Amino acid sequence: MNQEVERLQELLARVRRNAALPRTLISASMPEPSAPVHDTPPVAYAAPAYTAPATEFTAEQVFFESEPPPPPAAQTSAPLDASVDELLLEDPFPSVRPGPSYSDVLEEEPIPLVNVASPHALDAEEDVSGVMSISELSDEQPEELLEDDIVEMTASEAELSSVNDSLDELSFDDDDDLADKRSAPLSDAEPPASSSRSKIAGTMDEALARAAEQIQLEEGREIPLKTPPPESGPQAAVALPAGMHAPLSPDIEELLEADIVPSGVQATAPTTEQLGQTIDLEDARGPSLELDQPAPFIPEGLQEDLVNEELEVTLPGREFAGGYQDDLMLPPEARQELEAHQQRLNEDSVAPPPESLAQYPGPQPEAALGGFAPAIAPASVTTDSYSEGVSTVTVDAPSNVDFAPELLARPDRGPTSVAKFIRNEVPRPKTFMELLDSSLSLGSD
Amino acid sequence: MSLNFDPSYALEFDFGRGQIRMANAGERVVIPCDALLALCQGASEHAVRDFGRRLGTEAGRVMNDRLGEAWQASLETVLEHLGGELALMGLGSLGLERWGQALVLSFSDSPLGFAGDLLLGSVLEGAMQRSFGRDTVAIKLMRDDQKVRFLLAGHAGASKVGNWLAQGVPWGDVLSRLATRGAS
Repeated sequence: MNQEVERLQELLARVRRNAALPRTLISASMPEPSAPVHDTPPVAYAAPAYTAPATEFTAEQVFFESEPPPPPAAQTSAPLDASVDELLLEDPFPSVRPGPSYSDVLEEEPIPLVNVASPHALDAEEDVSGVMSISELSDEQPEELLEDDIVEMTASEAELSSVNDSLDELSFDDDDDLADKRSAPLSDAEPPASSSRSKIAGTMDEALARAAEQIQLEEGREIPLKTPPPESGPQAAVALPAGMHAPLSPDIEELLEADIVPSGVQATAPTTEQLGQTIDLEDARGPSLELDQPAPFIPEGLQEDLVNEELEVTLPGREFAGGYQDDLMLPPEARQELEAHQQRLNEDSVAPPPESLAQYPGPQPEAALGGFAPAIAPASVTTDSYSEGVSTVTVDAPSNVDFAPELLARPDRGPTSVAKFIRNEVPRPKTFMELLDSSLSLGSD
Repeated sequence: MSLNFDPSYALEFDFGRGQIRMANAGERVVIPCDALLALCQGASEHAVRDFGRRLGTEAGRVMNDRLGEAWQASLETVLEHLGGELALMGLGSLGLERWGQALVLSFSDSPLGFAGDLLLGSVLEGAMQRSFGRDTVAIKLMRDDQKVRFLLAGHAGASKVGNWLAQGVPWGDVLSRLATRGAS
């Protein structure tokens, strides 16, 4: 029991020491399991066996799907409270100092905290540096890596060349599609489209040349336009490559002209359908009439005002009221009326004498023919009053009248009472008893 | 004989015995108006008239006790005291109108309303009978929302007035006819 405790303490100390070491090399080239798997085949100090999740990729999906599986995220550091397997298996390529060798680790075997049972005995001579490839987990023969599969390393990683050499000697089986799919990221020959990972250029010239190639590839590549499904949610807008641009907004005026004027037909020339319904009109007969807007007549007195006030027009003064042009021609139909009016004015030039109720009416040509001859012109008219209320008018009759009329006027009278209303006052009873008795007597015969 | 009616201490509430007494009169009962109207509507006209006359007789008796010699009382005095007694009964405000020789008494703001007109007329008849010893007939001339007018006449005159009113003659014309026939 004490020994186990000591081993665990040593193991913990080593784990902490490893965790404290700086890491500069991204371990994305080697897929890391997301969680420790306890029921997998025991592999001590190596990558645990790959267990297919529920959404396992098939070979068809790998080869025919447009999008490759997402690359594993780069692991930066492992937490201290992670399991022992995770701590041991993380970052197999430390940049500063390589981890413990397989032999060192093997000496500390077995680790009792992890219940693993290795069906295959590890070969101590196999130089895997604590890393086992997936192809090995699948019990398949290794395959030699192609040149494209070889990861290019920078000078800072030169000290890890020995480890890479051992990886180059590993071979992968082509028969195992799954192994190929998993080994594809390992080769790092062509990064996936969604991956931002790129090869690191050794020199500046190489980097420039690669950048130029990348630009040419992007210009020549056609990005398929995909309509996202409605359930896909919001997506980031995809920047269009150079040379491609969104369709410009149409010009409204051009569209309107296209609607009005059909294509291929000039705007000035009518169509055949329009000519079929057109009736040619004859030319106008008679003299040609040209209408022109006459110049407005502005009196001389207003011209200065117009200049001064511009658009404001001052009403004409009194001297312009009723003025007309003397050179206006009299209309022919009004000429006769004007002559008749002037003739009447000449005939009525002598005003007749005024008439009143006290005089005989003026001479009437029709009355002169009858037997009742009126007085033509009275000599004098006098008015006498015999009393206060009656006024008598005496008229000097003409010589040819048989009798003289006498005109009487109604005398003036002041306001007088023409009727008298008598109010029958009932004597007020002194006592209630009297009133009651009088009321009881009403209606009795 | 006082002209003004003094209602001070007219009613005495004996809460210990649960009784209400009127001055110079017996016990009173305060009852809801609706209950009284329901009783009057359920009773016969003769019973309502008799009930009203008993109320008027009591009011006339009290007025006589106050006035002493009521037959010598003026119009205002009778109106003041008789109206005061009827107001203590809660029958409304009494008014007096003189249309020539006709005597017209009116009730204003009576809580009994239209259904209590017969009762009010009977009260006036009982008061005249008790105060002045005259058999009178109170004929309702008109009624509006606030006032009801009764003509106090004899049997003969009441018969004619009743016929005229039944014929649709306005109550003003009825009084004019009655005054004209009476004068002639």
